[in-house]
Amino acid sequence: MHELSVALEVCRMTEVRVGAAGAGAVRAVGLEVGDDAGVEIGNLQFCLEALLAEPPFAGARPVILRRSGDVLRLAYLEVDDGCPDD
Amino acid sequence: MMAVRTIEVRERVLAKNDELAAQVRARLAAARVPAINLMSSPGAGKTTLLERTLTDLAADLSLAVVTGDVQTHNDADRLARHTDRLVQAVVTNGACHLDARQILTALDAIDLASTDLVFIENVGNLVCPASWDLGENTRVVLFSITEGEDKPVKYPKMFQQADTVVLTKLDLLPHVPFRLDQAMACLRRVNPYLDVISTSALTPDGVRPWYDFVRAEARPKSPR
Repeated sequence: MHELSVALEVCRMTEVRVGAAGAGAVRAVGLEVGDDAGVEIGNLQFCLEALLAEPPFAGARPVILRRSGDVLRLAYLEVDDGCPDD
Repeated sequence: MMAVRTIEVRERVLAKNDELAAQVRARLAAARVPAINLMSSPGAGKTTLLERTLTDLAADLSLAVVTGDVQTHNDADRLARHTDRLVQAVVTNGACHLDARQILTALDAIDLASTDLVFIENVGNLVCPASWDLGENTRVVLFSITEGEDKPVKYPKMFQQADTVVLTKLDLLPHVPFRLDQAMACLRRVNPYLDVISTSALTPDGVRPWYDFVRAEARPKSPR
């Protein structure tokens, strides 16, 4: 039921991390979610998709990694590094 | 196209809440004031138990209350009729739980020096409040006998993290098909270490064991 709170916090953490790293646009947000984390996966996915579709995240995609236990952790961010890849 | 790189984070999503909960805990510890986080499903009797507690223990203890509701100040208004102190109302505007930031803000308005114990009445919900540390010392879950006996196994996280369970509405036992032995077995299955207190807030002596518990939890009063 608190998936929107979790998703908002994930977005806040993402902004902090991206700012600290001086990175460009966020491509993907990887989140580890345990079976006992008290979070409904489909609902969280929906909330993250909705929030990450808006600025400053436009285009980022949530990647939810199922885990055992009650872990609920921002695992990684995929970001543009500001350099052309060719 | 830009090259993509991966930033490894591995940070708990609720880390910020836990940091704020630690601030709550530190502030309460400095004032030597314990806090009890009351949780339950909606309608289990949190507000009714607090109404009686505030009235009956007013002569012995100075009790502060922070009460959370998704909408309305109804609980705060009810409780205000039973205490001289200002009841801290938190309207969560849709959120299904209280968080540590709300408690930290509420503490700003509470005179801890003249407080023996803080009650935090959480939003009625057996799922989400279990995930949010509020900086409390003790987690109490109310379990009313008008709910099913199997609530502890249906909502295990809430009961696993509880320190004490308060069974409520025991006066209704003759009128509802609730099997106390089954409920106790369900509780023991998810948490063998739980203390269980039986109460009936509508009968004169039905809350005495709860009062003993509250008195034991409260900060011993300094000599006056």
